Order: sequence, then C-alpha cells, then structure tokens
Amino acid sequence: MKSKYTFIILIGSVLVFSLAFTFLKPTPIYFQIPKGWPKPNYDFSKNPLTEEGFQLGRQLFYDPILSKDSTISCASCHLQATGFTHVDHSLSHGIEGKIGTRNSMTMMNLAWSKSFMWDGGVNHLDVQALNPITSSDEMNETLANVVLKLRKNDKYKSLFFAAFGDENITGQRILKALSQFELMLISSNSKYDKVMRKEAVFTNQEQNGYQLFKTNCASCHSEPLFTNGNFENNGIPLDSTLNDIGRQRITEKTEDYLKFKVPTLRNIQFTNPYMHDGRFNKLTEVIKHYNSITNNKKVSKQLKKSMNLTDNERVDLVAFLLTLTDNEFLFDKRFVYPR
Amino acid sequence: MRTKLLYIIIISLFFQWIYSQEKKDDFLRFNIKYKNESLIQNKKYISLSKDTLQIETFRFYVSNIKLILIDNSEISEEKSYHLIDIEEPNSQIISISKNLNKEIKKVVFSLGIDSTASVSGALSGDLDPTKGMYWAWQSGYINFKIEGKSSSCKTRNKAFQFHVGGYLKPNYAIRTIELETKNSNFEINVDLAELFNVIKLSEINSIMIPGLKAMDIADKAKLMFTISESLPNEK
Repeated sequence: MKSKYTFIILIGSVLVFSLAFTFLKPTPIYFQIPKGWPKPNYDFSKNPLTEEGFQLGRQLFYDPILSKDSTISCASCHLQATGFTHVDHSLSHGIEGKIGTRNSMTMMNLAWSKSFMWDGGVNHLDVQALNPITSSDEMNETLANVVLKLRKNDKYKSLFFAAFGDENITGQRILKALSQFELMLISSNSKYDKVMRKEAVFTNQEQNGYQLFKTNCASCHSEPLFTNGNFENNGIPLDSTLNDIGRQRITEKTEDYLKFKVPTLRNIQFTNPYMHDGRFNKLTEVIKHYNSITNNKKVSKQLKKSMNLTDNERVDLVAFLLTLTDNEFLFDKRFVYPR
Repeated sequence: MRTKLLYIIIISLFFQWIYSQEKKDDFLRFNIKYKNESLIQNKKYISLSKDTLQIETFRFYVSNIKLILIDNSEISEEKSYHLIDIEEPNSQIISISKNLNKEIKKVVFSLGIDSTASVSGALSGDLDPTKGMYWAWQSGYINFKIEGKSSSCKTRNKAFQFHVGGYLKPNYAIRTIELETKNSNFEINVDLAELFNVIKLSEINSIMIPGLKAMDIADKAKLMFTISESLPNEK
C-alpha cells in the first residue's frame, strides 16, 4: 500500500517538474525568410532566437545603461522611424556631446550582412555592439563594466533568467541578446516587395524609375537587399577634416582607399543624411552626385560612366526609391521602446 | 532495509570514483619569469638591449593544447582556449588530464586564437569579450598583451604597449609552440627577458593593430616559451 503512494507521489512530482520546465523554457521564434530572398548569413544555430532573448535584446537596445554615464543608448543614434539611423545628424553623437567621425548606419536585414560598419571591420553581428559601447566618442564604456551594472539590476536578472535559463549575466549573453533583437529587424513589406509578390503594381513613373535603377544602380545595390555587401569608392572626395580613408584602414591595401560599405537603399526616404559622413541631406543631391560623377582613377568601375539622366528620369528614379519605404517596419510595435 | 543500504553504498562508491577521477587530473603550469626569477609587476629589469623596463600587464592566450606521448599517440584538449594573466595566479595553471600510463614526449599549443574562433561572434568563458582581449573596431582577438614602461620609450608616460593579434592572412599572428620534454613532470617557463632581449624599446614600443610588426613580434614571442623538467618526486 505504502509503496503505491510513494509511486504516485513520485510520478506526480516528475510530471509537475516536466510541466514547470516546459513553461520556463524560452519560446522559440521561427525566423522567416521572405519569399525569394537568399539564405541568411547569420548562423542561428549558435544563437537560437527566442521571444525572451529578443525582448532582452530590445530592453538593452533602448537602455542608456550601456554607456558610461547612462545618457546614450543604441536607440540614441538608431531610431526606428528613420530606418534605425540618426536623422538630421551627419555625424553621430556620443556621451558628453562628443561627435564621432561617421554617419550612423541604418539597421535592417542584418541577418544577411557578411560584415558590419562602413569599413567592414567587424566580421560578425554579435561583436558589432562592442564598437559603439567602447568607442570613446560614443558610449565610452567597457563590456565588463556593463556586466557589473546589469548584475546589480533586478529587472535584468529576471530577463536574463527568462532568456537563458539562469541569472548569469555575461558579455557573451549581452551581445547575443542584442543580436536577437537586431536580427528581427526585417524590412520586406515595402511597395516594391508587394509589387514583386504581385500584391500591388508600380505607377508608370515608378516602373520607369525601376528600369533606370536596374541599369544604373543595381550592380552594387542589388535586389532584394539593395546592397551587394561590398566596398566601393563612389567618387566622393576625402573630407580633410575627418581624413576617413575607409576600408583601407582595415585591410591596409591602397586599392581600398576611400572605399566604404555599399549601404542598403531600403527605407531611403527617411534615412537621410546620406553617405558615410552624411554629406548629402537630400536624395536629389545623391542622385545629382551620381549623375555627374567626376571621373578619377580611384572610383569604382561601376561608376566610371556617369548616369547622365535627364531631369524627368531623375524624378522617376526618386519615385522608384520611395517605393522602398516599408511603413510596417518603421512602425512595427515589436521594435518600439519597451515599457 | 538491506537493499537501501546497498544503494547507499553503491552511490557513495560511485561518487568516490568520480572524485578519484578528478583528483587524478594533472596540471600544465606556466611560470611567468624574468630571467631566473618569477616576474614581479612594476619591478625594474634591464634587457640585453640595455632597456630598463617595468611590466604592468601581461596576458596571453594558450589554445589547442596537445600532448604527444612516447608512442606518438596524441591527447588533445577539446575547446582548448585559456587566458593566462600575470595578475591571476589561478589562470597560470591549466587543468589537463596528464594521468597517463605513457610518458609525454612533447607538448604543443598555440600562442593566440585561431581564425575559426575569431569569426564566431560572441564566445564565452576565457573568450568572452569582457576579458578585454577583443578588438572592437576591427574584429579579432588580441593573442597577447604586454604593457609597461621604459625610459627608452619617447612616448607619453614612457609607456610601451604591445597588443598583438590578427586572424586574416597574410597577417595571421597565431604561433605554434612545440616543446619537447624528457619526462611527464614538467612546467612551462615563460620568460619575458627572451623577448625584450631581441627588441629595442626605443624603436618598437607600440603595436596595436594586425600587420607586419605584429607578425614579427609574434615570431619573437615564441622564444619566451621553454620547458623545465623536474624530478618525478618533486611534483
């Protein structure tokens, strides 16, 4: 009789335990690749996406605790409504009003990126955040100190517990959680995408602009990501106050002088100012630059011939570029400041 | 009742077995030295190049440890990445199963981090970027870091700084160290004098990026590592 009860209690407790574990386990997120897009470059097996990991990353992304004096968060320079870049600022700001040397990049479709930053110095999304965190012109903090600050914070203890199964806060986990948030920033619902999926149609003007885009821009800004991920010299001269030599700083190769990452054109309507140093404020200025590019030896071969578009064609091209605006992405509630 | 007792005995025997297994584990010990003595931080030393120098920071990665036995069989440690730090005595002892029936004839390891780990994103343990051995603006690990002061340096605060790394060819700065030993009771000496004897701090005092200079000093850093065998009963 007694052994029977023991047996029941035993089975019961095993059941309770296993149930508890199913509830405590983070909820996996299925990473959906938009139809017709290539395979992502990010290795999800090393950092499986979960709802809890994503939410932790979102908290960290919006929390100025990452900076030395708790004044600057990632979102200070990467605002959702402008494609996660810093609108109106040609160069990005850091703590104590310090100003960096580059225009903050947009953040979208990062799972497909092979390198990060304007010079491609960063080889993996996980370690990208080390740059703004440690740069003296940006957050001027150390990752080790961020760990110490977060360990004193009860909210983060429970968020790390939910995401990783225990309260241990490490540099690796901080970086991986930030990656989880950033990986989910997928922009694939612009008018362009809907036209490609045959859910919408271009106007004549947009269609004409699309043709012009395919002949003049697509060799670098290749669809569907609108970047080929390479580094090019697009003919804009060196700003002698910044002396930013671009990719050459990383590779130390003279052929990489003034080469910068080809940025995506998605949501370009709102990601001004443009170029690595934010020198153009309007889209029309950018197109004017490419239309009358001064030929020099260093400029990338795709740009050796200037576009020579007529005024009307330039208007059409802008009309097409505006179809890359993805309002569902720019106003997606999952990405907003967490309360 | 009797069965219960039997269980307890079996379980305790099991734990004892596990415990004894652990106890048999052996260590790879790194002795950080300057010439014949243990290195003391901020003590003044004089190199053969006539530089007076003080060491403030000395940290290096030892990875992919492999023990080669007398019959040429190999024992390699999985996920073998260790950060050794002058400031942390525990880090200078790496637990590794040397408990073998056969003698060790050679120990092989890398000074630094291989390119695979350098492109694998955020890693944990000794490879966690909080350790201050990861470059931010250009991805990759710092294989070894030596910082200090010398009156020979015409730099700010007379400081010298060597942050040596790089995982991309042709500036792949990892180095393989192979040390032969006469018996299994050995320790590894890491003698900084051997490095400073072959460089002039007035000429080379700051290496912070991958490149030719880093490659050169990585070659010279190999000289620091030697084996010191001890008598079996000295252990």
